[in-house]
Amino acid sequence: MNFNISWFTQERIVFSIALVLFLVFSLSLSGFFSVDNLIVLMRNVSVLGILGIGMAIVVIGRGIDLSMIAVMAVSSAWTLQLMQNGYGLGSALALGLMCALAIGVANGLLIAFVEIPALFATLATGIFLYGLGKSTMLDLDVIYLPENTGWFEEIGKGSIGPFPMPVILFCITMVVAWFVLSRTRFGRFIYGTGDNPLAARITGIPIRIIITGQYAMASFIGFFAGIIIATSVSAVNTRIFHSTMIYDVILVVVLGGIGLSGGKGSVRNVVVGTLLIGILLNGMTIMDIQFTYQNFIKSLILLGAIILDSVLHPRNEETAQQGDI
Amino acid sequence: MASANAFTRARYKYFPDHLIGELLSKRWMESAVPTVILVGVFGYLSLNLPHYLSPINLMDLGRLYAEFGLVVLAMGLVMIGGGVDLSIGSMFALCNIAMLSLINMFGWPLWAAIPAVLVFGAALGAVNGFLIGYLKLRAFLTTLVTLIIYRAIVDIGLMNFAVEISGGFLESEAWDFIGDGDIFGIPSGLIAFLILAVIGHVMLSRTRPGWHVMAIGGARRSAHNAGIAVKRTICLTYVVSGVLTALAAVFFAARLGSAGSDVGSGMEVGVLTAAVLGGISLGGGRGSVAKAIMGGAIVLLVTNGMIRMGMEGGSSSLALGIILLFAVGIDVKWLKNRYKIINKVYVSPSYLELPDAPSPEKGSGTPYEVNDRLKTVTAIGLGTIEGPEDVILDHNDNLFAGTRHGDIIKFSGPNFETQETFAHIGGHPLGMAFDPDGNLLTCVGGMGLYGVKPSGEVYKLTDETNRTWYSINDDSRLRLADDLDITPDGQVYFSEATIRYEMHSWPLDSLEGRGNGRIICHDLNTNKTHTVIRDLIFPNGICTSFDGKSILFAETWGCSISRYWIDGPKRGKVEPVIPNLPGYPDNINRSSDGNYWLALVGMRTPTFDLAMTMPAFRRKMARRVAPDEWLFPNINSGCVIKFNEAGEILDVLWDLGGENHPMITSMREHKGHLYLGGISNNRVGRYKLENADPDWVGIDSYWGKKS
Amino acid sequence: MLKKFTLKKLLALGFASTLTLGMLGSAANAELIDELREPYIQSFKGKKVAFLPIAMGFDLTEGWAEAMKAASEKHGFEFVIRDPNWNTNAGTQALTALIAEKPDIIVAHNPDVQSYARLLKKAEKAGINVIQVNMKSSYSTNVYVGADWVEIGEAGAQEMVKRCGDGSGTSGKVAIIQGPLTGAASVYQVKGVMNILDQHKEIKIVANQAADWDASKAKAVTQTVLQQHPDLCAVFGFWDVMTLGAAAAVKEAGQTGKVSVLTNGGGNQMACDNVKSGAFDKVWSYDVPGQSRDLVSMIKMIFQSNAKPGDMRVALYTPLKVISREAFDPSICWSLKK
Repeated sequence: MNFNISWFTQERIVFSIALVLFLVFSLSLSGFFSVDNLIVLMRNVSVLGILGIGMAIVVIGRGIDLSMIAVMAVSSAWTLQLMQNGYGLGSALALGLMCALAIGVANGLLIAFVEIPALFATLATGIFLYGLGKSTMLDLDVIYLPENTGWFEEIGKGSIGPFPMPVILFCITMVVAWFVLSRTRFGRFIYGTGDNPLAARITGIPIRIIITGQYAMASFIGFFAGIIIATSVSAVNTRIFHSTMIYDVILVVVLGGIGLSGGKGSVRNVVVGTLLIGILLNGMTIMDIQFTYQNFIKSLILLGAIILDSVLHPRNEETAQQGDI
Repeated sequence: MASANAFTRARYKYFPDHLIGELLSKRWMESAVPTVILVGVFGYLSLNLPHYLSPINLMDLGRLYAEFGLVVLAMGLVMIGGGVDLSIGSMFALCNIAMLSLINMFGWPLWAAIPAVLVFGAALGAVNGFLIGYLKLRAFLTTLVTLIIYRAIVDIGLMNFAVEISGGFLESEAWDFIGDGDIFGIPSGLIAFLILAVIGHVMLSRTRPGWHVMAIGGARRSAHNAGIAVKRTICLTYVVSGVLTALAAVFFAARLGSAGSDVGSGMEVGVLTAAVLGGISLGGGRGSVAKAIMGGAIVLLVTNGMIRMGMEGGSSSLALGIILLFAVGIDVKWLKNRYKIINKVYVSPSYLELPDAPSPEKGSGTPYEVNDRLKTVTAIGLGTIEGPEDVILDHNDNLFAGTRHGDIIKFSGPNFETQETFAHIGGHPLGMAFDPDGNLLTCVGGMGLYGVKPSGEVYKLTDETNRTWYSINDDSRLRLADDLDITPDGQVYFSEATIRYEMHSWPLDSLEGRGNGRIICHDLNTNKTHTVIRDLIFPNGICTSFDGKSILFAETWGCSISRYWIDGPKRGKVEPVIPNLPGYPDNINRSSDGNYWLALVGMRTPTFDLAMTMPAFRRKMARRVAPDEWLFPNINSGCVIKFNEAGEILDVLWDLGGENHPMITSMREHKGHLYLGGISNNRVGRYKLENADPDWVGIDSYWGKKS
Repeated sequence: MLKKFTLKKLLALGFASTLTLGMLGSAANAELIDELREPYIQSFKGKKVAFLPIAMGFDLTEGWAEAMKAASEKHGFEFVIRDPNWNTNAGTQALTALIAEKPDIIVAHNPDVQSYARLLKKAEKAGINVIQVNMKSSYSTNVYVGADWVEIGEAGAQEMVKRCGDGSGTSGKVAIIQGPLTGAASVYQVKGVMNILDQHKEIKIVANQAADWDASKAKAVTQTVLQQHPDLCAVFGFWDVMTLGAAAAVKEAGQTGKVSVLTNGGGNQMACDNVKSGAFDKVWSYDVPGQSRDLVSMIKMIFQSNAKPGDMRVALYTPLKVISREAFDPSICWSLKK
């Protein structure tokens, strides 16, 4: 067998770790390796995975979107609020989506035209949207789903066969994102923009439009994830904005091997990252490890994955990109 | 019309246009936007909040600021080194509970607990530093993970020991002082912060480790190639960041004694915002302690102010988001466009009205009538020398000329065919003179006043003069020392043509027509330097009069020769010698018959003279037209003039075709010949003088005949 | 009215020759009036109450604020809110600023037992009365108004014993979902639960997790637990808003009715709706309108008694109301007026 350590990309390392953990848990934890549990496992990380795909699109285009959680929480909560206030389901959804897209486009404009660093533009729009939501759009922190919304509720609670809707929606998002990124001109341009924006512009790619588009997509996915959460627990808690969820999303993306310097990666990386997190969380919950310890163990394993990658692919001063933090 | 002229003249005399460009090009102007924001926020809050300026409130603010500021300093340091430390908030929380548990759970005394916590902070930072510096992990991702790890440790600690950790207050005066004390109304924490800020500033801007950090942040690869220990330095920035954060946590613990679970959570966002708002760039290489201080102050005042104004949580987030966007947006645009603005406004023409130029045309009857006498000039070193602005000869008939490559070339032999590099200086040597000991003193463009010993050894005389307190551009540095001469008592008078432009862009000064130049005196006996005359319009050639009691100097764009008395009854006075030349005067040197030679580098044109009275036109030109198309004074054809002490023109030498000697910036008489230099020539010219003393050597007229 | 007037007139006439005009006022004293009323009204004049919640925007704090605001408008004292929005550090800053502003009463809602303790002591030293509401600090001030968390924990545990204990025919497995581990509500509820369950070894706690008041996290935890223990008997969540996630997980697993969902909260309309729909089986309400009334009463008392900090140590534990399907009373619940 031709063994070569450069075969171990970060993606493969993470996948291997996930595989090992999966085997260990299957053998040692009763009830881990069952169809039902694996579906629950997928289900519990499907929202994280969907958000991860949105983030991946932006990261591939050499950006980052810290406003995703705010968009997810506020736009979906507003949808529920509008429904409570007597709007029809259709118009409430349309307005909520518009709200999300508005923030996405605003992110894009600020980053592409005003040239504010993505980190700050999206940080600020996130804080802004959360504040706007809390002060004017929403009555309370937690907005409940009104009774009897029919099919709408099925988005979060329903299932097709043994598969819960969120898992199916995760798969659909994966396929659509994969298609957009690898089979459309827009998607290829995102890679070009992320790899080298200046070169992309010189070759005639309208990078400002592309950047705006990628943030709009991320916001759309954020809204979508928000609706899944809202319908699945019958409420949206906008306080989720204050949690470390955005870091989890970034971790899923970066862990799977999508570099923050842009231009590299695909949907597959997100899936790998999501799987590792899912297996870890599920296994630890079965073992009834406290949430705090779960966090600790999870991050130690993540750290291990990054270190392993660095040991196998050391960066040296010659290849390190300036400003690549 | 006359009143309109008077108005224009007054406007350009009293309104300091040039200051705008100079202000903008200051490095601290990078912080202009943050400063304005800070002042605005503080002003708004003091007007809108009752008792905001009361000592108690300012003290409370100071306490809060000390903690926050320390953490911003920590983050700033890491960012300047090209990294980022997101784990800072978790480290803060961890150090906080470490401090509380040491004193509350384990009963350690303060003198042991505080250093222990600082060491603990250093260790936490060292984990980051080791991973990022030595293992070369990515800073963003790594500190993101350590953020979660440290936070998890905090949570685990609190879950198990919350009650013990936070149980009871330590009754200790020292502890109360740290948390709640002050010296002369300055809170204890703020004192520590200020001391550390000063140390940090000195370290970062004046010491080797600080420069290393800046270098690594600016260009990691170059720093590595330059031999800087990149790994160790990066690691150390994180260690220091850990210590500063731990110190902030100690003050926090002393102030509140709270082991709350959300201490420090989300702190990284505020701190990062503060650092960037202050002007520390993400990615490294740009930043300072002052920027960190300012950014920290803005963020603290804004967030605290919104709580104080009783703003509802949502509205304050809303406002914070908008402020953040505006501040960063304006800052980004400002940094990006500042240089464009400088380029547009730095050239600031002023009003200069010259009398009508005497005509040099044939038959005009003026002493300047053209002739073709320089046609017989022969070339020395043709094509082998570039830019001999000045030439000088010694007793042994060696000819010295500076070049644009930064050398002084020595020509020797009967026909100067032997050529060797006499000295390498590094900058373009301009005017030259021999001192009594035979050292060759020279003004070096961009460097200052230097000397070359007969052995060829180069030494510095001065590169600075006294600073004018009201100047914006640092005028203590010599930018464009031009020509010099030495008085019998060992004073070197030399001209600095302009203090607003560098060596390579001196022609731009011609567009301004303002007195940007000065004459400086360097005393060879005491080695002291001071500025003698300011606000001269491109002072250029300098020559000590034969009696040694005055110096003659030329103002190039002012088209005049003046005399400055250094001795005698008129000492310190300036009087005109030739008030109105037909061209732009350059170097002045003595002639063998007791008069002076003067080079005119170019001739005036009515167009440019007119343009000098139209500053608005020239400004528009500088802003809108490409530099290649600008209207410049003619510096292509000139002549050599001989004049006497009274300023009367005695002789004129022209080269009409400009073939033998295209440009003349200086001339030196030596043993019956005149040697000509030109700053853009590729030769030194040699012209045989009729009726000149064939044994006269220039140095002798200064220091007497050498035996 | 007329009679009163004439009486006054007669009196005035009768004593007109001897009494000065100034005595006219004392003449009115002879009339029977409520001597407490005037001081009561006067006691509010120029007073200021500051409310420092953990955050605005959820049923509890909005409910209290609404009541205090109504009282301030009726009686004419000043009422301000400082909203730190779930940020303890912002809360301490707000408290520091309030101490400098010197209101007459600070109503503090502590994020945890320790963070405000030192500052509350400082406030009392500065002569400000402090009422702590629902979440106590480790430092006790004049008044505490709020739930008795230990009692709620015990009630929940007793219910679990009743439903899952010996003779119930169930597995006896229960799951506990807490808020943040250091919050007073979590710390004391766990204590209450353990007080009971320590005596009932037949009850097995198969999961005891913190979901940080977050419904999504509660849902994820409950799903995994249900996966492992399909025979789970009961879930006890420490706050109704969070427990909604647990209820959704139970419903999706098709276990509604088989797994009891027990929780507690402020008695908002949402709790009644969910009890009615079957998502919750039993909710202990600490009745925000009742707490609000206690709060306002204590404010009035402090104003009138001119109490100084440290004069008293009073706790008003809120009587619990129980919302259950068996004895469903929609009037128990309340909703915000806006």
